Amino acid sequence: MLLSLSHIQKNFGGVAALRDGNLEVQEGEVHLLMGENGAGKSTMMKIVAGLHQRDGGEMLWRGQPVSFSYPSEAAANGIAMVHQESLLAGHLTVAENIFLGRESVSKTAWVNRGALTEKARAVISENGFRLDPTMRVDRLTPAGKQLVEICRAIAQGSSLLIFDEPTSSLSEAETREVFRIVRELCQRKLAVIYITHRLEELRSIGDRVTVLRDGATVHSGPLKDLSREQLIQHMVGRPISSIYRREFLPPGDVLLRVKNIYRGFLRDISFELHAGEIVGLGGLMGAGRTELCRVLFGLDPPESGTVEICGKQVTPRNPREAVASGVALIPEDRQHNGLALKLPIATNITMPDLDRVSKFGFLKKRDELTLAETYRDRLRIRCSGPSQLAGRLSGGNQQKIVIAKWVARGARVFLFDEPTRGIDIGAKQEVFEEMDRLARSGAAILMVSSELPELLQVADRILVMREGQLTGELPGRTTQEEIMRLAAPPENHSMIENA
Amino acid sequence: MRRLQQFLPFATLIILFIALTIATPHFLTVINLSSVARQTAVINIMALGMTLVIVTGGIDLSVGSILGISGLFGCMSIQAGQPIPIALCVGIGSGLLCGLLNGLMITRLNINPFIVTLGTLEAYRGLALVVSKGLPVHGLPDAFSYLGDGNLLGIPFSLWILAACAIVMHLVLENTKLGRYSFAIGSNVSAAYYAGVPIKFHLTAVYAIAGMLTGLAGMIEASRLMTGQPTAGQGYELQAIAAVVIGGGSLTGGEGSVVGTLIGAFIIGLLSNGSDLLGINPYWQQVVIGGVIIAAVGLDELRKRRFATA
Repeated sequence: MLLSLSHIQKNFGGVAALRDGNLEVQEGEVHLLMGENGAGKSTMMKIVAGLHQRDGGEMLWRGQPVSFSYPSEAAANGIAMVHQESLLAGHLTVAENIFLGRESVSKTAWVNRGALTEKARAVISENGFRLDPTMRVDRLTPAGKQLVEICRAIAQGSSLLIFDEPTSSLSEAETREVFRIVRELCQRKLAVIYITHRLEELRSIGDRVTVLRDGATVHSGPLKDLSREQLIQHMVGRPISSIYRREFLPPGDVLLRVKNIYRGFLRDISFELHAGEIVGLGGLMGAGRTELCRVLFGLDPPESGTVEICGKQVTPRNPREAVASGVALIPEDRQHNGLALKLPIATNITMPDLDRVSKFGFLKKRDELTLAETYRDRLRIRCSGPSQLAGRLSGGNQQKIVIAKWVARGARVFLFDEPTRGIDIGAKQEVFEEMDRLARSGAAILMVSSELPELLQVADRILVMREGQLTGELPGRTTQEEIMRLAAPPENHSMIENA
Repeated sequence: MRRLQQFLPFATLIILFIALTIATPHFLTVINLSSVARQTAVINIMALGMTLVIVTGGIDLSVGSILGISGLFGCMSIQAGQPIPIALCVGIGSGLLCGLLNGLMITRLNINPFIVTLGTLEAYRGLALVVSKGLPVHGLPDAFSYLGDGNLLGIPFSLWILAACAIVMHLVLENTKLGRYSFAIGSNVSAAYYAGVPIKFHLTAVYAIAGMLTGLAGMIEASRLMTGQPTAGQGYELQAIAAVVIGGGSLTGGEGSVVGTLIGAFIIGLLSNGSDLLGINPYWQQVVIGGVIIAAVGLDELRKRRFATA
């Protein structure tokens, strides 16, 4: 046994994050660690990686009792963590990040940058990655950043790699790439702990699974013995009644009419959204879906073309104009763009529409709290009360606050950009239910998603983008293959043609 | 949460007050306390504006210079024969204009507030010296001294002004859009922008208000000194920032309160008054105040860590 954890406990300020964490990992296996947000997965792994110290329980590493006070101690023992939110130094290069803290220093105490770059190039090419070691890390995509973290772990000579939801910010192709790397690592007798809550991906990667719920290990065993439903039941603690599927509604008036939009690499985009509709927007990473949402929300006004919202010609030039005309954006990166984490839930909910809770320019705090409570109940935001700080909630509940503020604002056109990223199954269903409720009440919804099963499950029709253009429209009950056919570059479209 | 945040500074203030009462018979006297009040009123009024600025995640290093320039302009208008109320408006207006200029440069030219106000810290001071040719304005009418040295119902007039400003500022910060948006901007400017908050407008207003309050403080200071000093207020910006920070304001934005700032300013006031009374070397006073600032912020960090969750 490489790593063995028994009865691990961890409290934060009196709140138990982990009550009874158990986990056993063997050499050369991919061990899946599953559970809903707040189940304690990350906490347990941070204890293994020396980022947190446990309050109780036992940890054995290669049969020896250990405890790591610092990440560097865990790293010295061969344990490395690839983080969910990249913990890289953005202003340094790829090579500098890979060897951060372990720079080969010459006798004169200067860092030898040339040698560093060469060493990094070697690590990168050995693993068949495509990465420029001289590139600054903040210029990389999320996938690129992840590769840097993986390279760093490999370069450290780790024997256990912990992946904390590595694919939550990656496209399909990048996800396949990460899987390839993970399997390759296992063949080299490395062990991998892989934290995820995406049910779609686990069978193509894992051998055994451990499920955590409410800070305790509730199941551990081979993956092949478990059905999808059993797994969900372990994670959620109750059987999920059925997989949600929206019933079709006849579409109403046109609420959003986009005509011949050009902006950056977006070319000639035209489409319509009707009241009562949920329209999916599919495509590969970098196809321009988020960029399109940014144009519609006034973040990047179009260079040419027109936008008509609720029958009025209003091409928004900033978010304020977009909001005023009834558009809402649920952004991809909710922590950066969606929420003020230091402020209470109620404050976040009323932020786009303070007028609704003010009189003569003064805020009526009681009204604000009542309003927040209404939407807390409607979206089932699990919190201690509307005065709780938004930063204290789990990803799913944070996402619900972002949605709640636009529902409270009475927006008519909703742009959901990857609404289920990093949130657990229960919350995901509730987000879909809210989208359905909004559509029923006459809103128009555009949903960007990289998860094809999700698009097929929720959307009434699906628009597909490729390289900044709309390549087609499909009915809601289409297949993943159809979407990919429109999303992927044509077969003969070679590099030479591009050049 | 907020209660707890203010508890520590408040307890410190009370303990300091009791300790000084026991330590020296000269502390708990009407004369001494009103002198403390007069001394702290100026910094306190500046610190109120600074609270708003710091809540937005910004900083205003130029308030010391604004204090100098507005006091000077106010006094010059008295010397030019204007009645005192008009002079007061000139002083406050000069502060407002200086603050507005700060705000416009920060929001329209997109320059970091630290840099803009570091620049205007120099520029406004230089301007005051140019206009006055480096000479103070003397010969002000006796009536002008009422602002800084007068009493109303036995309480220093400047304390009344402070109380009025503090109440208004508290209401602004806690109960108006401007205050709410300041917290939103300071907590996450991007999220505020995505929510449709007019950020440039509100940020500009915040710096203009800070300038305006500083203008008022400048007139009180000029009245206390009975001169328009072009060099008045040097280093005050740091005391104002310290008051906010001791009172629980966070330089990363999104945190701060009027009550906290008042407590912070009075702690600084009592520390220097107490060491004067106890005959402590004034050089050591600076060391003590510096230590208190670091201790206050350090303890606050400790509190946050203790209550942080995963």
